[in-house]
Amino acid sequence: MINDPIYDQALNTTRRAFLGHSARGVGAVALGTMLAADEASANSAVADLVPHFAPQAKRVVCLFQAGGLSHVDLFDYKPTLSKFHGQEIPPSVKGDQRLTGMTSGQSAYPVTRPISSGQFCGEHRTWISNLLPHTQQIADKIAIVKSMYTEAINHDPAITFVNTGNQQPGYPSMGAWASYGLGSENRNLPTFITMTSQGSGKYPGQPIYSRLWGSGFLPSTHQGVGLRPGANPVLYLDNPPGVSRGQRRELLDDLGQLNHLAAERMADAETLARIDAYEMAFRMQMSVPELMDLSGESPSTLESYGPDALRPGSYAANCLLARRLLERDVRFVQLFHRGWDQHIALSQQLPRQCQDIDQPTAALVNDLEQRGLLDDTLVLFATEFGRTVFTQGKFEAPAAGRDHHGRCFTIWMAGGGVRAGMEYGSTDDFCYNIVENPVHLRDMHATLLHCLGLDFERFTYRFRGLDVGLTGVEQAHVVKGILA
Amino acid sequence: MLISKFLHIALALTLVGSVSKAVDFQREVLPLLSDRCFQCHGPDENARQADLRLDVRGEAIDYGAIVPHQPESSTLVERILADDDSVMPPRTAKKQLSPAEREILRQWVAEGAKYEKHWAFMPPQKRMPPEVENKDWPAGPIDRFVLAKLEGQGLTPNNEADRYTLIRRLYLDLTGLPPSAEEVEAFAADKSAGAYERLVDRLLASPHFGERMALEWLDAVRYADTNGYSIDGGRHMWLWRDWVINAFNQNWPYDQFLVEQLAGDLLENPTDAQLIATGMQRNNMVTHEGGTIPEENLTNYNADRVKTLGEAVMGLTLGCAQCHDHKYDPITQRDYYRLFAFFNTLSDKGLDGSGGVNPRPFFEAQTVLQTGEEPVLRETIAHLEQQLANPSEADMAKWEDRQREELDRRAVGLVILPTRALKISTPNSGSGFGIDNERVIHITYAPDIAAYDVLLQLPSIDEPITGIRVRMLPDDELDGALGHGKLEAGDTQKSLLLTALSMSADAAPGEVVNLHRLIPARQVTASSWREGYRAENVLDPRRQNGWSPKLESSAPQHLTYTFQSPIDAGQTPYLTVQLNYGKGGRRIAARTEIDVITGNDDGSPLPAEMISIVRTPVNQRSEQQQQALADYYAQHASATQSLRTALANARERLGVVTGKFSTMIMDQAEEPRTTYVLARGDYSQPGKVVTPGTPEVLPAMDEAAPSNRLGLAQWLVAPDHPLTARVEVNRVWKQLFGAGLVRTPADFGVQGAYPTHPELLDWLAVDFVEHGWDVKRLVRMIVTSSTYRQSAAAPAELLRRDPLNELLARGPRFRLPAEFVRDSALKTSGLLVDRLGGPSVNPYTPGDPWREVSHYGSTYATAQAFVQDHGEKLYRRSLYTYWKRTVPPPNMAAFDAPNRETCVVNRGATNTPLQALVLLNDTQFVEASRAFAERIYAHDSTDESRLRWATMEMLSRPPTDAELGILMAALSRERESYASDRPAAEKLLDVGESARDESIPVEEHAAWTQIATLLLNLSEAITRN
Repeated sequence: MINDPIYDQALNTTRRAFLGHSARGVGAVALGTMLAADEASANSAVADLVPHFAPQAKRVVCLFQAGGLSHVDLFDYKPTLSKFHGQEIPPSVKGDQRLTGMTSGQSAYPVTRPISSGQFCGEHRTWISNLLPHTQQIADKIAIVKSMYTEAINHDPAITFVNTGNQQPGYPSMGAWASYGLGSENRNLPTFITMTSQGSGKYPGQPIYSRLWGSGFLPSTHQGVGLRPGANPVLYLDNPPGVSRGQRRELLDDLGQLNHLAAERMADAETLARIDAYEMAFRMQMSVPELMDLSGESPSTLESYGPDALRPGSYAANCLLARRLLERDVRFVQLFHRGWDQHIALSQQLPRQCQDIDQPTAALVNDLEQRGLLDDTLVLFATEFGRTVFTQGKFEAPAAGRDHHGRCFTIWMAGGGVRAGMEYGSTDDFCYNIVENPVHLRDMHATLLHCLGLDFERFTYRFRGLDVGLTGVEQAHVVKGILA
Repeated sequence: MLISKFLHIALALTLVGSVSKAVDFQREVLPLLSDRCFQCHGPDENARQADLRLDVRGEAIDYGAIVPHQPESSTLVERILADDDSVMPPRTAKKQLSPAEREILRQWVAEGAKYEKHWAFMPPQKRMPPEVENKDWPAGPIDRFVLAKLEGQGLTPNNEADRYTLIRRLYLDLTGLPPSAEEVEAFAADKSAGAYERLVDRLLASPHFGERMALEWLDAVRYADTNGYSIDGGRHMWLWRDWVINAFNQNWPYDQFLVEQLAGDLLENPTDAQLIATGMQRNNMVTHEGGTIPEENLTNYNADRVKTLGEAVMGLTLGCAQCHDHKYDPITQRDYYRLFAFFNTLSDKGLDGSGGVNPRPFFEAQTVLQTGEEPVLRETIAHLEQQLANPSEADMAKWEDRQREELDRRAVGLVILPTRALKISTPNSGSGFGIDNERVIHITYAPDIAAYDVLLQLPSIDEPITGIRVRMLPDDELDGALGHGKLEAGDTQKSLLLTALSMSADAAPGEVVNLHRLIPARQVTASSWREGYRAENVLDPRRQNGWSPKLESSAPQHLTYTFQSPIDAGQTPYLTVQLNYGKGGRRIAARTEIDVITGNDDGSPLPAEMISIVRTPVNQRSEQQQQALADYYAQHASATQSLRTALANARERLGVVTGKFSTMIMDQAEEPRTTYVLARGDYSQPGKVVTPGTPEVLPAMDEAAPSNRLGLAQWLVAPDHPLTARVEVNRVWKQLFGAGLVRTPADFGVQGAYPTHPELLDWLAVDFVEHGWDVKRLVRMIVTSSTYRQSAAAPAELLRRDPLNELLARGPRFRLPAEFVRDSALKTSGLLVDRLGGPSVNPYTPGDPWREVSHYGSTYATAQAFVQDHGEKLYRRSLYTYWKRTVPPPNMAAFDAPNRETCVVNRGATNTPLQALVLLNDTQFVEASRAFAERIYAHDSTDESRLRWATMEMLSRPPTDAELGILMAALSRERESYASDRPAAEKLLDVGESARDESIPVEEHAAWTQIATLLLNLSEAITRN
């Protein structure tokens, strides 16, 4: 195929190759003027220049906890809370910032201390809740950012913001940007793969939506491809009943021949590209079942991810699959675990929710490390916002919970490019406001791109007349303090 | 002045050989000023640096930045040529000026620094089409504009495409469907004068023209069937979609098309149709996520309306001015909020649209589509009713035999065993539910709506577990009632209504039901049921109805769910069951036990009366008994299912063309909201009050015009409006050429692309308005041009020279949009049901992609669980596919169909492996291949003539000999393959719900199905050449 003269000629005429060659040559000046306003050409030029510097991470796994993980209960320990337990949050702390419609009408805002005790873990004595005993064990491998913040206070805008850099729909997701910028290093699997799971804490959790892994205004090639357990792990993957793989191979050979004849007759590069697409589809039919087949995993590995790893579709099973994907150099893997929206019955829901994710998350980090993959894999454990230190509902009632809180929350990162075993940023005595080193969502995005060797200011796509990047129009900063 | 050495050399190099031609402000200078300078020295006052603006000539001159004709005295030139830190743009700026670009600006100042208003803000001028050397080629003015440019470049137009290509191109462009083989052959053979034009006229008159033209408009103004945002419940807007189709078919003038959509309600005595039309600006997403702030949502809705108006109608990125003055275009933030004010007068609510009820305001009306189907539908219905009322005696006897067998098998080997109930959870309660003694699921407080997930440990037995029995026990605290709520108002006793039931088994305990391992049912029975509340209702996850036991009984009642295939407690010792009580009214069972069974259920779906009739020999039955049984057979037997589906679909369709339905509209609130300029676009930071008005850079609104949406609409369609006609002409051009004359269809502003053929664009725009905004005339003029009729196959040299086909020296080629890929397969297969309009349908989709991500079980909202439709609804055109914004149909999304959350004017046309998987393996396409194979087989008796016809039908051209050879070889190979594996052939032919022609030998049909798949997957089959 590579030596095919038509293919070469066709390739030469495609837009990307066209600019790829000439944009650096003598004709660039005139061409630049002629095409300056053409979005497509502006964009090919950008994509040709990345990565901007040597990347620390080659791939990313984002463990997204959908619904709003309670930083108050799990990471952001404040001894003051025990003292104030049951008392009204001081007005000086609460301030006059807006609350959601679910608590804005409450007559009282009593502080609720964390529902569980915790331990100071690792060399840096980082407090982590006893609801996350396995996470406690990896404290020395992760960088906990306690000073995250977002302007959004409801799920849709907040989860859209953290995943796409914008509260409004229409923008590419983190994984789509990575795919667009860096492409694939695996010829048999999609570049960006997503998996979803239901939380035991709250079922159903808040909905999630395809825009969270969508490609926005980038070509749809970059959207996340869903991987699901069961017979058809990728939609439409299996041949129809009654068609064997051998038969399919022969049919694709016929198809290739026919497409080749047409491409020659019509001088059409797209048709040749389509032959490649069919070949990759055929390879995926092999590589995906092989990926899903866990029979080669050692009993100790399986055990390390916990009993849920045997339950297809669970967060644990997805963590194990994530490792298998990363091993195969899939660029961006994202898990969405739902059910973190504890407005109600915090004390019942949160322990179950934590149990879903604690052991598998730690196991994934350890597994990556043992296989030498953690050095160049960025692990991002994130959520859309935190939860209020005060009670939603009646204090200490079984139904009591916590509302959304965007002014501060906690995430952590590990692996490629990130310092192991540290805390960054801090909040006030009520984990309500940030007092040191605030990190906006866009700073998290800038840092993520930085670890991948992408300069967030230069890594943009021309859309509707603007050069749009993941971090949006406001100034963003790489969080240097957590970089290795 | 400091000029770097490097620059001197670079300039010298670039200037060698260049003809000293005056620089073109519009094309060369303004894009540079805009892209590199305006960010800090442009229209946005707040971002302006050093008090300098370069977008207004007088100010730039007063400042001293520009001294016309004296570049050496102009600080602008000095700064851009500086080689120290004073250089502009600053070294830190992302976007720099190249040496040649600096020279352009210098030369422009030297030539007098002439400014012009940006071209798109000036009314289009209709210039005489230029003279050309080749007098034979142009068919009309379009061609003269195109040819003049080609001749100027020393190029010649491409040959005309052959007739096969032309007819296919026209069919796909004007109807979105390919021609039939017969139509192609007739056209290829018709050498008479005007054959092409006659074909164009015929297609313009086709009802499919409106369906095709609607597609881009639905994308642009974001039509969908759900509300979007997080819960994404269902809404009803198809009346509006059908209004659009009708408007194109009736050739509504574009000005009227816009006026009615933007302000139909403000016209005098508006008709229902004019009200329906206003749904355009209600297509925005609406949230009912609890806790959101209404004012914030309303701001988002109006922002989306302004953005959509800008991008879809005006070709301006107005959204950029929501938070600050536009960085590039002379649109101030105040301009933005004055446009916003036009829409801020609706009576819409910030949180609205749950439970499948449209967000307000809405009204009920009839569809505007006049399809003339009513008499035929009535006949169809009568015929189907007749068929159902007179079942074939043989079929019914067979059914009765099977019923008796089933009845005899009842309770064989039945053992009922208790499970251990380990855990229970529900999302929205903290108390009022629990498990007593690991056995009884005890609900002491019933919320209005709830679903409970219960984790059970199965008894450790070796026998296969065949199903579960859910037992509802009387509760003393409820005076012996089974549930907490009354089913109907007149009931004397409380009861329960189980609306849906689902379960999964796993190796490890799972507290919530595993959607990826749901166990399908073979049969569901109950100890008793109320009229209309049969046990099998629990299988519909939409919770449209449910099971409720007979009211009179105060004894325990049970429902038995028999698995499709038994499960093994050794492999999967844990079962999770979800009991869904999702309809409101607190009809939740108070005390429930869940058992498992081995062996056969002792219940029957037949009511006692039917059991006794079935058990009575036919000759001993009374006439009433026989009739009752026949009625039951018609209503419930699986043998009559397809008839019932057809009847239900026909009745629904009759309702669609005769009844009234809800649709969202615009109105004027009694107390319209005040509009403020919002600082940083934030709803909570209102600034100055503004009144409705249009941007100052554009011609002013007529002073006599009303200061409302009607005035806005009239202003947009005023003949001298610089944008409206240009944008529409460009949209139509893009539909027919794959790319617009302006390559950035949503951005005619300063940052947008300069038109490839500015004079042509203007000529078309003015001509369009002069001829009454006549869309069909415009389409006809373009498709009858020689430019359009060129072949897409171009010499390599031309492809190299003009890869993006900006010169139009060849015909355009592009992959079909998602909808037409599917529609083509449906048409070719003969499965297409080409009814116009109506509620959206749910064709084949693998699994339930909605429930995996939705709020199912915790909301009244509809569209949370996917249920596939049947019968003709599987074969409607794709623009009638139900569009759920958060989970758009996966086989359409694979082909770049947008999710319709926001305005899209430029769909991608990617080429991916997922597309290959869809065309090869999606049930919809496999079935299409099977049905196409039937047509091929029936067409002729020899393989060669069949293959010739099939190629013509699929690709609109005869096969070449080489192709025929490949196809023949493939056919004999597939024949051999299936001849030796008949079961494989049967399996393949079993794909899809349409009936197969049983007269075709199985092996033969399967082999031809593979050939059909091969043709359907050709790149050419999904490409418009």
